[in-house]
Amino acid sequence: MNSRLIEFFQLAVRQLSRRRFRVILTVAGIAIGVAALVGTVALGEGIRTQAVEAIRTQSDLTLIEALPGVEGNVLQLVTPTRATAAGSLPGVASSAPVVRGTFATKGQTYVQVVGVPADGLDGVLRPTYLRGSGFSPGSDQVVLGAALGEKLQRYEGVRIGDPLVLVRRSYDAQGRPIDEETTVLPVGVMEERGDAYDQVLLMDLDLAVRLGEGDGGYSGILIRAEGPDRVFSVAEGVRGIGLSPRGSFEQIEAVNRMMDMVVIFLGIFAGLSLLVGGLMIASTMITSVYERTREIGIAMAVGASEGDVMEMILAECAVLGVIGGACGDLLGVCFAMVLNILGGPFLASRFGDAFLGLLDTEIALVTWPLLAAGLLLAVGLSLLAGLYPAWKASHLNPVEAIRSGR
Amino acid sequence: MSSPILEARGLSRHYPGGVRALEGVDLRLGRGEFVAVIGRSGSGKSTLLNIVGGLDAPSEGSVAVNGTLLDFSNRRALVSFRREMVGFVFQQFNLIPSLTARENVEYPLLFNYRPPAERQEKANALLAMVGLGDRASHYPGQLSGGEQQRVAIARALVADSPLILADEPTGNLDSATSEGIFSLLQRLNRERGVTLLVVTHERELASYADRTIEMRDGRVVA
Ligand SMILES: Nc1ncnc2c1ncn2[C@@H]1O[C@H](COP(=O)(O)OP(=O)(O)OP(=O)(O)O)[C@@H](O)[C@H]1O
Ligand SMILES: [Mg+2]
Repeated sequence: MNSRLIEFFQLAVRQLSRRRFRVILTVAGIAIGVAALVGTVALGEGIRTQAVEAIRTQSDLTLIEALPGVEGNVLQLVTPTRATAAGSLPGVASSAPVVRGTFATKGQTYVQVVGVPADGLDGVLRPTYLRGSGFSPGSDQVVLGAALGEKLQRYEGVRIGDPLVLVRRSYDAQGRPIDEETTVLPVGVMEERGDAYDQVLLMDLDLAVRLGEGDGGYSGILIRAEGPDRVFSVAEGVRGIGLSPRGSFEQIEAVNRMMDMVVIFLGIFAGLSLLVGGLMIASTMITSVYERTREIGIAMAVGASEGDVMEMILAECAVLGVIGGACGDLLGVCFAMVLNILGGPFLASRFGDAFLGLLDTEIALVTWPLLAAGLLLAVGLSLLAGLYPAWKASHLNPVEAIRSGR
Repeated sequence: MSSPILEARGLSRHYPGGVRALEGVDLRLGRGEFVAVIGRSGSGKSTLLNIVGGLDAPSEGSVAVNGTLLDFSNRRALVSFRREMVGFVFQQFNLIPSLTARENVEYPLLFNYRPPAERQEKANALLAMVGLGDRASHYPGQLSGGEQQRVAIARALVADSPLILADEPTGNLDSATSEGIFSLLQRLNRERGVTLLVVTHERELASYADRTIEMRDGRVVA
C-alpha cells in the first residue's frame, strides 16, 4: 500500500469523525449483520462439531467396508484384484475380504454370518471380547456379536463352548428347499460396538466358503484406515476402484451435508441483514457526498483527479467496513459466549440427559477464519456500497460543485 | 512586456438556452503581473477565471500557459495543469472543515505526491507568512472569515504554482479586512513574483492591482 493511500485513510477517519452519530448508526447496521452471520455460522459449526465428535467417540470410525458398487448400470463385484487394490490404497492400515450369508438356528432365529480370515478378525475388525476369545484359522469356531450372543443365550440357551447347529436353506432345480445343517462352536462374544457387527456371527472365511457362501467371489472387503483423518480419503479411494464404501464415516458425511444446508440457510438470513447494512453505507455515503459537494469541487480545483476523489470516498467506506466488521465480530463473539453460557444448560434442561454433554462444551464455535470472513465481507460490502457514491463524487462538475451552497 | 504566462484568445462560453457567459474574450497576463477583473454580477468574471484555471472548458477559443496550449479534452492534462500551474482562492468556504489550517494548506500537495515532512514544513512557513503561524492547528470553524481567506491564499501558494486565480476573495468580508487581504496579495505578488488574476466587485480594491480589466455581458470592455 503506498503512503498516499494511507493518508487517504487518515483523511477518511477525520472525515468520518466529523459525522460521528451518523457513522455510529451506519457502523451499527453493518455490525449487526456481521454479528448475525458470525453468530449463526458459529452455532451451526458448533453443532456440527458436537455431532461429528459424538459419532467419532461412539462408533468405530476407522472401519470401512467396501461393498460391490454400481458404475453406470453395471454391478462392480468384489473380485480378488479389487480386494488387493483396496488393501494397498494409501491410508489403509489393514484389510481383509469377507463373505456374508444367512443361516437360521434350530430355534428359527435368523443369523447373519460373516466369514472373515482369522487374522482379519484380529487385524481389521479388532474386536474386544465380553466373554471368550476369537476363532482360530481353519476351525469351526465362531464369534458372536453382543446383541446376537445375548439373544441366543436368552432364547435358545446358547453358551460359549456349547456346539450350535446352523441351518442353511437352499433350493434345488425344482425349487424345493434343501436344508443343510452345520455344527459350529461359539468361542467368544464381542463387546457391544454400536454397529451392525453386534448382530452377526463371525466365522473363518474358509469355513464360510466351505458352507457354500460367496459363490467364488467376496461379499466385501473390511478395511481399517490408519486414522480418523484418513477415513474420508480411503473412502474416496474405494469409490475410485468402483466399490461402494460403507461405515460410520457416512454418518459424518450425512451430518456435514445437513449442517451445510443449515448453515447456508441461516447464513442467507444473516446475509440479508448484512445487505441492509450495505444499503445503509450506500445511503450514508450518498448523503455525505451530497453534503460535501463544494468540498469535493475544491479538492478537484486544487489538483485532485477523478481517481483521487474515488479513492478518498472508497477509503471512507473501507473504514466504515473495518469498524463495522470488527464491531460485528466482537458482537458475534459475545453472542456465541452467551449461547455457550446459557444455551447448554437450557438445552440440557429441555431435552434431558442426552444433551448433558453440552454443559461443558461449546455449542457455538467461533473460529479465526470465521472472524476474518466477517471482517472481509463487511469491508467488501462497504466498498461495493461505496462504488456508486464514489463514482458520483468523482464525476461532479467542479465549477458547479464549487458554486453550490453545500 | 516579456512572454506572457497566460494568453487566452477568443474565449467564448455558451450555455444551453442561449446564455452567452463569455463572448470572444482575449486576455494576456505578463509574468508577475497583478491584474484585477471587475464587472457587474453576471458579466462573466467567474466563467473567465474557471476557464483559464482549467476547471471549465470554453465553447470556443484557446488558452495557452507558458506558451503551451491547454487541451481541454484531456482530463489528465487538466488535472496536472491544476496541480502544478494554478492556485485557486474562492469567495468563501474555501477550506475543508474537518482539516486544520495547516492540513488545509498542505492539501494540494497530497495530490502532488510530496512527502509529509516537506509538506508540513512548507505549510507552516506559508501560514507564518500570511500571519497565521500561531493558528496552524485551528479548524476553519475557529477562524474568522478574513483568517480563513488568508489560509486559502497560503494553500494557493503551497504548490509553487506561478498563477494564482482568486474569485472575489473578499466578497464576504468587511472593508478593513478586505484591504488587508488585498495588501497581502500585493505583497505576495511583489515578494514572490506570482502572477495574480483577482476578481472583485469593488473598484477601490482593484487599485491594488497593476492593471484592471472590466467586463460587461461576457466581453472585456476596458
Ligand atoms: N451553468 C450555467 N447555466 C446557464 N447559465 C449560466 C451557468 N453558469 C453561469 N451562467 C450564466 O453565465 C453568466 C456569467 O456568470 P458568471 O458566474 O461568470 O458571472 P460573474 O461575473 O462571476 O457574476 P458574479 O459577480 O455574480 O459572481 C451569468 O449570466 C450566469 O447566469
Ligand atoms: Mg462570480
